Amino acid sequence: MNLMIELIRSTFLAAVPILLASLGGTYTYYADIFNIAMEGMMLIGAFTAVLGSFFSGSWLIGILSGIAGGLFTALIFTVFAVYLKTDEFVTGIALNLFALGGTTYFLRQIFSVKGAFTSSKIIPLPDWNIPIIEHIPVLGELLSGYPFLVYITFLIAVLVEIHIFKTKFGLRLRATGEDDAAVDSVGIKSDIIKSKAILLSGFYCGLAGVFLSLGYVNLFAENMSNGRGWISLAVIILTRGRPVGLLFMALLFGFFDGLGLALQNTFIPSQFTQMVPYLATLVALFFYSREKKKSKEESENESMAV
Amino acid sequence: MKRQILTAAVGIITALLVGLLIMAIQGYPAFESYYQLFNYSLFSKFSFFSTLSKTAPLILTGLSAAVAFGSNAVNLGQVGQFLIGGISVTIAGLYIDLPPVIMIPLLIFIALLSGALYSGIAAWLRLKFNMDEFITTLMLNFVAQYFTLYLISGPLLDKELFSPMTRPINESGWLPAPGGLDSTIVISTILLVIIYFIWHHTKAGYEWKVMGSNEMFAKAGGASIDKNYLKVMLISGALAGMAGAMLVMGGVQHRFLKGIGASYGWDGVMIAVVADSSIIGTAFYSFFFAMLQTGAMGMELETSVPSEFVLILQSITVLFVVASRKSAHLLLNKINILLRMKNIRSGGGIKENELND
Repeated sequence: MNLMIELIRSTFLAAVPILLASLGGTYTYYADIFNIAMEGMMLIGAFTAVLGSFFSGSWLIGILSGIAGGLFTALIFTVFAVYLKTDEFVTGIALNLFALGGTTYFLRQIFSVKGAFTSSKIIPLPDWNIPIIEHIPVLGELLSGYPFLVYITFLIAVLVEIHIFKTKFGLRLRATGEDDAAVDSVGIKSDIIKSKAILLSGFYCGLAGVFLSLGYVNLFAENMSNGRGWISLAVIILTRGRPVGLLFMALLFGFFDGLGLALQNTFIPSQFTQMVPYLATLVALFFYSREKKKSKEESENESMAV
Repeated sequence: MKRQILTAAVGIITALLVGLLIMAIQGYPAFESYYQLFNYSLFSKFSFFSTLSKTAPLILTGLSAAVAFGSNAVNLGQVGQFLIGGISVTIAGLYIDLPPVIMIPLLIFIALLSGALYSGIAAWLRLKFNMDEFITTLMLNFVAQYFTLYLISGPLLDKELFSPMTRPINESGWLPAPGGLDSTIVISTILLVIIYFIWHHTKAGYEWKVMGSNEMFAKAGGASIDKNYLKVMLISGALAGMAGAMLVMGGVQHRFLKGIGASYGWDGVMIAVVADSSIIGTAFYSFFFAMLQTGAMGMELETSVPSEFVLILQSITVLFVVASRKSAHLLLNKINILLRMKNIRSGGGIKENELND
């Protein structure tokens, strides 16, 4: 029973960074921008969050500076990909490596450490206890006492769904993704819509970074995003950018991540349990591609029958 | 070609200037640091040889990415293929002992084969199940990373040492280093020439390039996309696998240790991207990146700029070179159009010879 509760708790915790990043990536997905810089945005966000929290002694400043880090990375992406017309794939690759190199460099430059930086002066995100529920035996343990960003994230998922599918901006965003020349022709600047989409993705990826370094753990380690940005991108593709689907997939990956942790104390070597989230992505992609192939073949058969 | 050299120069100089600015803002002696960067990578026999031995694996991971990207196969699995090549050679080198004349070619063959098999998994998943290689290769990177870590901290662990690594491979598998020059650069150069020849002078190479620029056209021209795709993926993986083997067979360690050549895979991707998948460009940028990485330690020693600074320098070089290539293209087009409009306005109309260019 305790193991089950642990597993469910770690599922929620591990799902949050993936969910936040993939919600951000949804904006660029609908604007038809190939955003592979999410990994880098997340990493820089995690670093600047620690920076802010450490020097100010306030988790709020930590959150703000983490978001600023994500936005900064997104701004570079925007300048190069939207305004200098550099290839999105190239820009993303370069930015990811810039993030890895930059955070490693400044980790040494500012804190004089290699590898990981921990300190009691890094103020973590506060936990929230839900009144009443926290005193109910099992339910309280399951639902109460997470870093507060966990609760906010599920709220954000709903808001993003509304923002993209029910507002004027969302409509313009999706139109830009479908055909940006048509959007330009009715007097809306598609470049501005694209820039906004990238900056929004930077905002949420920065927040995902904040959760990694101030919520999930309380430290900064080199390359601590460890492929979560890539997994988030895979999740977006697999769910075709529907926030409800993202929520489900993120929880699924969170579960596998947690499962990896839970299996660590068994006879299976930890290196194999750490592979689990990546293997799960491959399996998910397998089912997705099979479905897609099937539906494509069916539609081809139908058209032939006609 | 001329335009390529020009935009590369503009990009590199801009990146170096930005780097100068970053260092100056933080109060480091920027010019002195750059001088030391080149001093420790070029200006003595030892430092030049060190640069060359870093160039060798970079050429291979760079070629691996260039061949793939140039043929429209998004192989981002250099990291994984590199590790699998390295660990396979290590295992073979630990348990097989033959005279060097047979041993070295055998290990090279194993490296190429194991790298190709690993990228072959991604290629197979794509051809059989239509799974995007861009995601599968990325995920397989992590699988390879944890799998090799398991091997070197479990079954292959050298128990006399404290950090995860294997014992050194048998001496017969060590590549010679005559006069201090690591012979890995010879292997890389040979493979570079072979790839250059295939790319520019064979029918297969032509079909791959066409695939890279226009898949529909390649199909219409009768090229078998699937077969060519498989070949490209296998070659790409083999090259990355060989790069990993070099770090075990060459150098001084001769063993597989944790975090071995961690950056070579992604550096290769950057090199291919900045070289726009050109084979000669790949060789040039491999040398340039190797120079930065080799000089970094010297720079840290002399002016105490952390050596990680060159990681930033590399990525901004990529951004500025690619951006200057793109904007040069746009700018030249714009100038062309402006000139023509001026001509039309002044009543000259469009001259015949202008239409022809």
